[in-house]
Amino acid sequence: MNAAATWVRDGLRRQPLFPVLLVMSVVLSASYGGFGTTANFRNIAVQASPLIISAVGMTFVIMTSGIDLSVGSMFFLAAAVETSSALVGEPAVLVFPAVIATGLVMGTVNGLAVGLTRVPALIVTLATMQVYRGAGGHITGQQDINVPASLRGIGTGTILGLPVPILLAAAVALAGGMVFARTSFGRHLQAVGSNRDAAADAGLPVRRVVIGAYALAGLLAGLGSLTEAARLGAVQPSIGQGYELTVITAVVLGGTSLFGGRGSVTGTVLGSLLLSAVQTGLVFSGASPYVFDIVRGSVLLAAVLAAALRWRGLTDALRLTGRTPSGEPRAPHHPTSSALQ
Amino acid sequence: MRKRRAVPIVAVLAAATSVAAGCSSSAKAGSAAGAKSVTIGVSFDLLNATRTAEKNAIQQAATAAGYKVVFDVADSDAQKQASQIQDLIQTQHVSAIIAIAQDGQQISSSISLAKAHDVPFITIDRSVADQSDVAFQITGNPTADGKLAATQFLAAAGKTPLKVLELVGGLTDQNAIGRRDGFNQALSGAANVSIVSQVPTDWDPTQALDGTSNALQKDPSINAIFIPSDFLLPSVESALTSAGRLAPIGDPKHVFIVTIDGDQNGCKAINNKDIDADVATLVGEFGKQAIAAVTASVAGKAVAPKAVTIPGLTLDQADYGTTSAQVWGCAS
Repeated sequence: MNAAATWVRDGLRRQPLFPVLLVMSVVLSASYGGFGTTANFRNIAVQASPLIISAVGMTFVIMTSGIDLSVGSMFFLAAAVETSSALVGEPAVLVFPAVIATGLVMGTVNGLAVGLTRVPALIVTLATMQVYRGAGGHITGQQDINVPASLRGIGTGTILGLPVPILLAAAVALAGGMVFARTSFGRHLQAVGSNRDAAADAGLPVRRVVIGAYALAGLLAGLGSLTEAARLGAVQPSIGQGYELTVITAVVLGGTSLFGGRGSVTGTVLGSLLLSAVQTGLVFSGASPYVFDIVRGSVLLAAVLAAALRWRGLTDALRLTGRTPSGEPRAPHHPTSSALQ
Repeated sequence: MRKRRAVPIVAVLAAATSVAAGCSSSAKAGSAAGAKSVTIGVSFDLLNATRTAEKNAIQQAATAAGYKVVFDVADSDAQKQASQIQDLIQTQHVSAIIAIAQDGQQISSSISLAKAHDVPFITIDRSVADQSDVAFQITGNPTADGKLAATQFLAAAGKTPLKVLELVGGLTDQNAIGRRDGFNQALSGAANVSIVSQVPTDWDPTQALDGTSNALQKDPSINAIFIPSDFLLPSVESALTSAGRLAPIGDPKHVFIVTIDGDQNGCKAINNKDIDADVATLVGEFGKQAIAAVTASVAGKAVAPKAVTIPGLTLDQADYGTTSAQVWGCAS
């Protein structure tokens, strides 16, 4: 009994968002008939799936203390490639790898620009955000293009009664979690995000890790785009506009530190589900359309404040133990560097 | 030594400045001289299917009048639009500006700049806050369009009571607000029609898809949907398909749908009997009247009336054969 209680307590401590999501679901289910149904939870999970897929990629990037503002534009360009004249009439086995490869190339370009230079990721991905959106606009001619029925199964189909987007998101989350927990790449991500210089001094392949994180984010953006375009049924010029904010909110809500070095895929999945549940709850509540933006903005603010508080709490605690947030022994206090901060 | 080198450089710069100034003044004089040398700077807020139709209408009318067109898109960025218009006026010395404002308030500085350079400023599609220095403005009438859409619901409600899902566009876009207000005003107090859910979309297809799915989940008895723009139609159709509710007119499962814009999506859906009506914006008229206003303005004449609003044209199942030719989405 004690062991179970300890397990639950530790779990809640690691994923504080889980009880929030649970309480919110219970309250909404009790308040609005139809919210607490299997069909609705399935609906929420389907809606969150493309977000989960791309947010797992963003978690890799943010873990390196980077950021990727181009994710929405990658969504658009990947979708544009999917419906481009070069791939019209081609089967899914050819189109899907081509789209995912497009995402991988875009992510690699981001990674090379961030990893091989010291230009801040914010600036690099702000620039590529424009490049990718422009390229997408060039391919589509800024017109709406329908996604062929043969390519829509990835967003609307089912396997053994389970929606394909949910299965894909679950597979991506599981694989992402394994990469974090069980691979040297995952450990290197945390080390690079905690202290890039120290990681380099320790002989870690910092550049390769950074490039890899952005490349994975691009690949997953391509996969997320395939799923979303299939759900929408059409590629439109506004696809992915402002999406970067939603993705970053999901990651930060899930407890990944914007300063890098700390986070989890499970938290990102919970963050994505929470955003989707909030959106659904707003519709069920019959709130004024103006309230939607207020609530969405408040969730973002809460995520950032919670991240800041967690960071401060952690650094305060570690200051007492004489260790850095990444667990390394803290360097002796230096008055000059402190003053400079 | 440095002074000796500086002299020719200064001389070259001075000569270049003189040439540039000469070009500038001749361009300006030329622009007022006659139709042959008129170049119009066109600044759009963004480019999508509707804007492409508006662009084509302007280009067609300008070509017919013998004018050149320089075209810029601001990618939904009001600052970028201001810079582009500044470039059109001060660097490219265009004879007139035709703009679709990203922000009806912020574009005032661009209008003032145009006035200071004697460049007529014409706005289309979206009205601007201060029209005092605008040579001519032509827009749709979003409130009237919303009311026209509502009349379709009122007519249908005579046969079956309607429970309506109302999608709302961008809450900072006056076209979205006007369409919503017109629709709500016309249905206010109507018997047999009730708006059971209002979902904001921010003109985002994903929000339209998710919002429609959520609303159908919340209230499966919804049997009518108002879509404020045709470009959200594929999202709504996807949501209906997922819910097993997409059915053609005549099928008992059919959801009554009216949209606005008259683009290819809407026209095709009416033809396929998937939706019931589409209030088409007459974008071709925007181009024709804007170019006519340019002709008058560069000739130094005042345009009268200074502001024109054109209500939409309803395309429904009954008049598809006779009306579709006037709808831009059906023609393209």
